[in-house]
Amino acid sequence: MLIKYNHYNRYNSYKNYMSSINDFSGYQPTWCPGCGNWGIGSAVKTALVQLNLDPSSVAMVFGIGCSGNMNDFINTYGFHSLHGRAVPTAAGIKLANHKLPVIVVVGDGDCYGEGGNHFIHACRGNHDITVIVHDNRVYGLTTGQAAPTSQKGFKSKSTPDGIIEIPVNPLSLAIVSGATFVAQAFAGNAPQMTEIIKKAVEHEGFSVVNVIQPCVTFNKVNTYQYYLQRIYQIDKKHDVANQEEALKRALEVNQERFPLGIIYEQEKPAYHNQIPQLGSGKSLVEKDYFDNLSLLLKDFL
Amino acid sequence: MNKFNWKIGGEAGFGIATTGLVFSKIASRLGYQIFDYIEYPSLIRGGHNSYEVVVSDEEVFGLKHPIDYLICLNKDTFNFHKDRLHKDSFVVYDKDEFEIEENYKKVTVPFNKIIKDNQGQPVMKNTVALGASLALLGADLNVLNEIISERFDKKGETVINFNQRFAGEGYNYIKENYSSLIRPLLINKQASKKLVMTGNDAFALGSVIADCRMYAAYPMTPSSSVLHTLASWQKTTGMVVRHAEDEIAVINTALGASFAGVRAAVGTSGGGFALMVETVSLAGITETPVVIFISQRPGPATGMPTWTEQGDLLFTVHSGHGEFPKIVLAPGDQEEMIELTAKAFNLADIYQTPVFVLSDMYLSESHKTVSYDFISKFASVYRVNRGKISNLKSQISKPNLKTQNFLRYKITDDGVSERLIPGTKGFFYQANSYEHLEDGHTTESSFERNRQVEKRNRKTQSYLKQDFQMPRIYGDINKASVVFVSWGSTKGPILEAMNMLTAKGRRTALIHFNHIYPLDENKLTQLFIRKKRHILVENNSTGQFGRLLRQEAGINIIEKILKYDGRPFWPEEIVNKI
Repeated sequence: MLIKYNHYNRYNSYKNYMSSINDFSGYQPTWCPGCGNWGIGSAVKTALVQLNLDPSSVAMVFGIGCSGNMNDFINTYGFHSLHGRAVPTAAGIKLANHKLPVIVVVGDGDCYGEGGNHFIHACRGNHDITVIVHDNRVYGLTTGQAAPTSQKGFKSKSTPDGIIEIPVNPLSLAIVSGATFVAQAFAGNAPQMTEIIKKAVEHEGFSVVNVIQPCVTFNKVNTYQYYLQRIYQIDKKHDVANQEEALKRALEVNQERFPLGIIYEQEKPAYHNQIPQLGSGKSLVEKDYFDNLSLLLKDFL
Repeated sequence: MNKFNWKIGGEAGFGIATTGLVFSKIASRLGYQIFDYIEYPSLIRGGHNSYEVVVSDEEVFGLKHPIDYLICLNKDTFNFHKDRLHKDSFVVYDKDEFEIEENYKKVTVPFNKIIKDNQGQPVMKNTVALGASLALLGADLNVLNEIISERFDKKGETVINFNQRFAGEGYNYIKENYSSLIRPLLINKQASKKLVMTGNDAFALGSVIADCRMYAAYPMTPSSSVLHTLASWQKTTGMVVRHAEDEIAVINTALGASFAGVRAAVGTSGGGFALMVETVSLAGITETPVVIFISQRPGPATGMPTWTEQGDLLFTVHSGHGEFPKIVLAPGDQEEMIELTAKAFNLADIYQTPVFVLSDMYLSESHKTVSYDFISKFASVYRVNRGKISNLKSQISKPNLKTQNFLRYKITDDGVSERLIPGTKGFFYQANSYEHLEDGHTTESSFERNRQVEKRNRKTQSYLKQDFQMPRIYGDINKASVVFVSWGSTKGPILEAMNMLTAKGRRTALIHFNHIYPLDENKLTQLFIRKKRHILVENNSTGQFGRLLRQEAGINIIEKILKYDGRPFWPEEIVNKI
């Protein structure tokens, strides 16, 4: 079953304003020439413009790493958090103001290594946030150590004889942990990435976009050439609501085949929609002061 | 003055905690003031649990070592606590289970036979014991029956009647067999409405009064009951209470919520706080308000989870990498807990930095009488002060308006910059864990670095000027020959000890700190200028507050009474050291 997209923008409260890429453009990026982050950065901005959002109407949370450095290159309400901690920070923002779209920008070491526990539990909770993972299978900002997504045997400064562990499979991890939107994009295909990011933000629930991305400086194995030979488009017959089919796609990574597109999507109530006290139409920021203490004090009589 | 204590003990899993609390509530409903204390191992079944309640006409600040009434639901209770009995102690036990040779006021109640004859569960022994206790203390049984009705309200009349039968059996057994030992200690007095609250209850209530809207925690003894209480209230209060996957997620969720504009708090104990420390530092540099409740227990590592200690003071004061301001408060009792918790939320917003409320197992889990009027009055005078929150309104009227970068970290004289609630139209900014410019963008410039460090540091001076409170002095410090110095929960046992010393003709005073860090050196030096015998009293092994006082104010207290066996102070042991 293919989920029909509702083109009504659920965050659109700002109809008179048409934003432009320029509005979102902050400092000139410091990423290496040829780095996949450039493509991701521009896809994120394009998606925000096309979603009719503006810098005031979105909150972004950044981890620490080359990906997280996007904080300075994009103009929105932002929280540049700690390495590994962006996901719980984002969950907190969403709980406090569920009317704001919340987008997380993290790297693979950040999200699947240091923050792995948070990632699994945020999937379980189906928090209504979009996590865009820059998956370059290496630690860039700390100069090239092996990452949780590095292929077994990957040689780096921290693993001179090759990494012993097998890689994390982000897609299957997300699917079995409870994420309700799991997609994969390629940094070299910005138009498709833009479409996927838009759908991920529109999706109500925990959405993961794993962006496979070459690191031109520190990963000489998983290059543009490597990926161009191994990526493929998921065909239209794929049933995104079928968890087993989705897992089959996700596991193709074991054969070094990388599906691009939406792999899994389910409509389930998001975390904040299951909290009765948020059901009044007011967000936590807007709620009224509670002053009927006698209701509580009876417990102590 | 009418003052006595009552202690019940039994195997873990036999409802000792519930029974003790019911006794405290009965005394409170009859118009008395109480202080209670629970001891239990870190087990659900099989260990020994005990609960003691001090009851008086007047305010009770702490425990009392000699036991007046010992209710033994098993033989261990007698064995473990007999060193605290005296010849006039009442000991209630079942002689079918064990016999006592020593001379006390022995009261044998056939708990097991009563249970058997009435087809009850073994756990209902505690109801029989409560009935028997009330009879011995001259109380009316109705007050217990009333509590049983409330407790089993949802289970219906049959269950209520069944439980009340066991209360009645215990009560009548005493009336029929021990009428000569009945003392009129719990007769109904007309008094103003009183509440029975733990320190954790007081924190929970203080956070509601302060309009905290998000509480996140991971269960950890002895802080967990805050999580339970706030969770049970959330549909009433509207607060969002989240039990996250670990303490790291807990504090980062709270920070996210605070950034988004709501008051947020977390609660934990030492080990859980150790996991949060990285984010304490994040709150420091992003200048995000957060209230952190720490209920201490003996460490290191897992230590003694269900016992008490004041061992994490310096850890808290020095928590977080890098240099940034923080504020540490440590209430001395339940009322101070309500006041200082509510104040902590204001301070966090005013100074945009982490504010700590330090408790310990003894304060967190002991109940003390709090008057209903005190809470109503406090709630009516308390004002939420969100500090410098920008009153910029969303600018939606102008189409094609260029959104502006709000100066979130603007340099100011008092070190505090305006906050803007994310989502306000027409603006944007980032909270940045990197060193940043006034507008939030990352910087490594030496000029900008110095400006931001100095701006943040100025918040400490602003706090000392505007909100630091000097320690409270109990007793007449000019006439006292002995001056105790303490902080947090040791206040109660010291006040009890001072009363006992006064009775012996000794003049003492107490300097009690609850605004723990930062300390104002200039003001404090004046307080310690007198030539007195100062004695530091702390529930830890190294005199951590004494070290802080020396570090921050150059005050060195030589004489110390320290205790670190996991138990709170007995007033008697303080008296004996004077």
